[in-house]
Amino acid sequence: MRFPLLLCIVAGMFLAFPAWGQRLVEGTVVDARSGAPLPGVSIVLKGTMQGTTTDVDGRFSINLPPGPQVLIFSFVGYRTQEIAVGPEVTRLDVRLEEDVLGLEEVVVTGLATSVRRSNLAHAVATVNAAELAEVTAQPTLDAALSGKVTGAYISAYSGAPGGGLSIKLRGISTINGNAQPLFVVDGVLIDNSQIQSGVDAVTNATGGGSGVAQDNPVNRIADLNPEDIESIEILKGASAAALYGARASNGVVIIRTKRGRPGQTIVRVRQEIGFNEIAKRLGTRTFTAETALAFFGPKGLEEFQAALNGRGFYDYEDLLYGNRGLLYRTSLSISGGNERTQFFASGLLHNEEGIVKRTGYDKYSLRLNLSHRLTDRIQLETTTNYIRTATRRGLTGNDNSGTTFGISLAATPNFVYLLPDENGIYPDHPFNSANPLQTAALMKNEESVNRFIGSGRLRVNLLQRARQALQFILEGGVDYYNLENDARFPVELQFERLNVDGRGPGTLILRQANTFNTNWRALFVHTWTPGTLDLTLTSQGGLTGANFDQNQLLFVADGLVPGQQNLDQASTIDREQTRQFQRDRSFFFQEEANWADRLILTVGLRGDKSSINGDVRRFFLYPKASVALNLHQFNFWRWPVIDQLKLRLAWGQTGNIAGFGIKYTSFDPTVIGGQAGSIISRRRGFDRVKPERQTELEGGFDLSLFHGRAALEFTLYRKVITDLLLQREVEPSTGFGLETFNGGELENVGLEIGLSLVPVDRPGLRWISQIRFWTNRATVTRLPVPPFRALGGGFGATLGEIRIEEGQSPTQIVGIDDIDGDGRPDGVFKLGDVAPKFQLSFSNEWSIADRLTLSVLAHWKYGGDNLNLTMLLFDLFGTTADFDRDDDGDGIPNGIERVNLLGVSARPFVQNASYFRIREIGLYYDVPLERLWPTLHRTVRRLRVGLSARNPITITPYKSYDPEVNNFGTQPVADGVEVTPYPAYRTFLFYLGFEL
Amino acid sequence: MKRLPGYLSVLMLCLLASGCDLLSIDNRPDPNGPSLEDLLQNPTRAKLANLAIGIESASRFELGIYLIDVGMIGREYWRFSSADPRFTGDLLGKGTAVLDNNTFYITRPWGARYRVVRNAYILLEALANAADLSEAEKKALAGFAKTFIAYQLLLNLNLTYDNGIRIDVSGPEPGPIVSRDEALRFIANLLDEAAQDLAAGGSAFPFPLSSGFAGFDTPAAFRRFNRALAARVAAYREQFDQVLTLLNESFYDPTGDLRTGVYHSFSAASGDLVNPLFFDPNAPAGDALVAHPSFAADAEPGDQRLSKVVLRDEPASLDGLTSNYGVYVYPSANAPIPIIRNAELILLAAEAHIQLGNFDTAVSLLNRIRNAAGLPDYAGPLTREALLDEMLHQRRYELYGEGHRWIDLRRYNRLDALPIDRPGDDVWRQFPIPATENL
Repeated sequence: MRFPLLLCIVAGMFLAFPAWGQRLVEGTVVDARSGAPLPGVSIVLKGTMQGTTTDVDGRFSINLPPGPQVLIFSFVGYRTQEIAVGPEVTRLDVRLEEDVLGLEEVVVTGLATSVRRSNLAHAVATVNAAELAEVTAQPTLDAALSGKVTGAYISAYSGAPGGGLSIKLRGISTINGNAQPLFVVDGVLIDNSQIQSGVDAVTNATGGGSGVAQDNPVNRIADLNPEDIESIEILKGASAAALYGARASNGVVIIRTKRGRPGQTIVRVRQEIGFNEIAKRLGTRTFTAETALAFFGPKGLEEFQAALNGRGFYDYEDLLYGNRGLLYRTSLSISGGNERTQFFASGLLHNEEGIVKRTGYDKYSLRLNLSHRLTDRIQLETTTNYIRTATRRGLTGNDNSGTTFGISLAATPNFVYLLPDENGIYPDHPFNSANPLQTAALMKNEESVNRFIGSGRLRVNLLQRARQALQFILEGGVDYYNLENDARFPVELQFERLNVDGRGPGTLILRQANTFNTNWRALFVHTWTPGTLDLTLTSQGGLTGANFDQNQLLFVADGLVPGQQNLDQASTIDREQTRQFQRDRSFFFQEEANWADRLILTVGLRGDKSSINGDVRRFFLYPKASVALNLHQFNFWRWPVIDQLKLRLAWGQTGNIAGFGIKYTSFDPTVIGGQAGSIISRRRGFDRVKPERQTELEGGFDLSLFHGRAALEFTLYRKVITDLLLQREVEPSTGFGLETFNGGELENVGLEIGLSLVPVDRPGLRWISQIRFWTNRATVTRLPVPPFRALGGGFGATLGEIRIEEGQSPTQIVGIDDIDGDGRPDGVFKLGDVAPKFQLSFSNEWSIADRLTLSVLAHWKYGGDNLNLTMLLFDLFGTTADFDRDDDGDGIPNGIERVNLLGVSARPFVQNASYFRIREIGLYYDVPLERLWPTLHRTVRRLRVGLSARNPITITPYKSYDPEVNNFGTQPVADGVEVTPYPAYRTFLFYLGFEL
Repeated sequence: MKRLPGYLSVLMLCLLASGCDLLSIDNRPDPNGPSLEDLLQNPTRAKLANLAIGIESASRFELGIYLIDVGMIGREYWRFSSADPRFTGDLLGKGTAVLDNNTFYITRPWGARYRVVRNAYILLEALANAADLSEAEKKALAGFAKTFIAYQLLLNLNLTYDNGIRIDVSGPEPGPIVSRDEALRFIANLLDEAAQDLAAGGSAFPFPLSSGFAGFDTPAAFRRFNRALAARVAAYREQFDQVLTLLNESFYDPTGDLRTGVYHSFSAASGDLVNPLFFDPNAPAGDALVAHPSFAADAEPGDQRLSKVVLRDEPASLDGLTSNYGVYVYPSANAPIPIIRNAELILLAAEAHIQLGNFDTAVSLLNRIRNAAGLPDYAGPLTREALLDEMLHQRRYELYGEGHRWIDLRRYNRLDALPIDRPGDDVWRQFPIPATENL
């Protein structure tokens, strides 16, 4: 590899570059609104490769051939202008207008090329820096995307600090495979694993109805600092993402971080201070002596009377979840450079406390991005990013040991006394194995991550002629992190002291994970403009490789020496190790033909092989083809009010590589009496495993009106996934429990509409409005196995479960039900569906006199059900707030009525989880320093103050903390199963920012 | 691209040529565990020993759920779990709740037993290729594996009873579900086959058994355990002559220690399992194992076996059930759980003698059990009915918490004698076949 690469570079350097030109045209480019010079504007002679860019002061000069010519001026964030230059012109001053609605932004199409949005043949969602993290502070990247992307189902699965979200693009793309999109940051394939903390050793959540891990881990994409991001492009389906091949089935999220620009060095400082508070409280039941006796026996009556006789009643929900957690966030960025070298450096300190004391999330990030032009031909770019995060998530969610905050709280009537005495000693919970206040005060569950992400890119212009150019690009990246989850349950805790697990008091759980991912790409891009046809042909082809290595360790130590925190200070230690490796190698090719921006045709092919597949030598092929037709570019077009009308059609295929180890049938270790034994794994290996295949056809139109003041994007798609990685439960009498194989078919049909408007655009007031509407219908069209419970799809039909069944929506919720009203279950019926009917988001930004800006993002999810088992648990303990109320007036209290339905109907647990939510609201004011304090203005160019809030208002019929929830974390299909989660919270922030 | 310069073509060819090597991938083995393929191709003594240890170890998987299933339906005790209402709901038939065929209480123990069976069949298959084992050692391993297959099948049949089980499960696709009679016949025959293998099994197993098999860890001694299981199966098949014959080949000892026998051993040591029925008898009601009130109420005065339950500091109430007693059969996380022990063999002998009309012999055997529990000799009538009552009563108290009462009352058609604690509760006769068996 190295030798030919070197050859390429050397050869490139010696290639001749002919000077070309008969006359010099000079001029400046400025912003039409402010008159400020624009550096870095690209100027290209139409129909050629020839061009230049403006310098720091917006000046340019270009040699033009004789005769009338057309120059194209384009710049990120501005509307492209074509200017006819008469044969005599030598001076040209250009005013570029801001592209308020982003109609002309440049979007990635291949792996190395980009195209203006107006020429794109498929829908691509983009989120820019301002939309992403500038309305309000965002602790994590994934959370920052909520409500901003058409076609995306984004749902937080816990309110615990540090995030934890599931992102699904265009419906359900897999049943058992990886369902999260591929994240590519500056060319680096980013690890987005979820690493379970191992607290299951205490909660025993998997010991009951579902063996799927329930430790509620964070997705690792959360580590990125949202403020470092310049732009995000989301390739949602196979037609757009085909060139990413066998890892692109769930879509690709292409992230580009900020770069420096030539010119003055800009220092930005942003400081936020605020707080988190619980978004919704459930309340608790008001007991009487009778109800205390009925539900908690004689001891209950005794406790109730003690409370009545002076000890008092307590709001334990408030004591546990009522913390107003402070949030501090400081970020600094410095960027600048000259024409040859540009830099962007940033730092972030983020500290927040959750609504449970001693929980929280800290993030520290450092970044340095450098770009350097070695010669006219050779450009180098590097990015380096170090991140440290610490996440303290407490202990919430499901358990089978009565230990989590939520289940302990459900077991806590308001008449018990759980507060510590003056020595800090907590009383035992009389009705539960854990006193939640004690657990929250003494336990620790902290995940810390040290992560390095770096990339380098070399770009060599091998050939640059008037009508053709050849570029060689070599890029590579590394993503390495070390994760440690340190969970400690000291001997003083009630459940540890009582030795509920029988393994000795005190538990230490140490999870360690090392992940080392590398990837590289080598490719050529050739552009050719044949003279006569007004045609541009862009070809690219090359090779890529990616390696993924992960090593996970888990230690569970029990029987601690009191006060000790070292694994050695325990009487027993269990350990577990999981190693994974993956080697992917691919080739790809793409050809794009552009006929005068009227008709743009693209075809491409990628071949992928992987060590995960049964046959490691076989290339799986993923083709694509697309066409875009810009009607407004044709000569017959005579409707000036319509700026653009584009019809587009795209088709493509992508894959989804199986999880690690599916091809192996192996033995699990087991120990008895100190002897190591082997027991056949519950999973039967499948040695012919291959990637799932998605085929997508997408069509639509883009319409832009009134000189860029209104834009409509309309897209219909149908994607079909075949060779699904189906994990059927094999007949357990074979001795195996699970088996993965390729089969079945899944279909998604959806509609996405984006409407962008600038209703008002006057010097004093600008109003930008965006409405996004999206809906998706998924159907399991062929299932060669009997219906089964989706992974993490609940706990069985009695409590309701998400069931995969042929002919049905994969997200359907089924459960037992009493159809004829005889008080007995009559079978299993469809009771709901997790998938929403549609989602709609509405964002508005008003800026008044360029000083005051108000931004509001509202998100409406209509339809979609959850399985609310939190309410059931509170009902079973008799502590639900409305337990004694009688809503239907039949004389039976709500609580009793619901409890009596247990085992008869799962209907009470299936609840409408629609919501209308104000996701983000921000009000900012640019202090007019130039008037108020001119001397300071010489150093501080801009001073901004503001107030913002995240999720301040939620309106929902859902009867628990928050409709965005899932006890099982990110799952391929299932979502919305709720078992006493960490409650959702809202955040209010004060902002101070300045620019030097 | 029609006139691509020559040197560029050369460059691209270079890159593509080196690319072929760049794109190669090794086929690496599983980094996380031994593979089945390797075991079947190169079975060595050490690997087979590992497999055998795995069989004994895994026979404890989900044993807790099995014992809670049979103990709760047999009204021996209640598993209180605030986190899972199905223990006190489905298992007791609360209100209109029924046993579901896709819920953990049947799917998990059922699957775990067949997993051991699979391991045992893999061992049997691999034996054929094992070069470094003597013929006697192969026989010993075969006898061990077959005994465990029979034992594991019997436990599943105990759950599904008249619904039957699958017995032809050695191949990749399972055979049909067969009736209870056929399954019991298969189990009995397999035990006999195993006994023959063990008889030819030489003097030692080529692998270590745990402390639970202390005294039964040679092929000859293990054979006596095998015969004891066969005696239990014969009793289930109501072949009472056969029971006595088999007992004579077992470790049955009417005067010996009642606790002599074979156990599942547990330990908190690294990687090992703890006793799943060990609960603090005073554990809060949200997560506890409490005795059914009838255990204390129905005991004869002076029965020392009442120490198997402990009066709690506080009564435990959950889901409309209240008990004053915590279960204390297993006083620590390391306490072993009997697979079969001498007390059961004596009671099997007593049962056989009652059924065969040898009442005096039966009474003396029952007295052996009674006296050990601090009770005087049996003074009731010497009728078949009365003696059967007494035998079942002694089984109830002697084998409390060992998974027998429900099964005993069921084979004597006395399930209706079990107490109903809440209006609408049901006493189930058997579990459904798990839904995942795809019948």
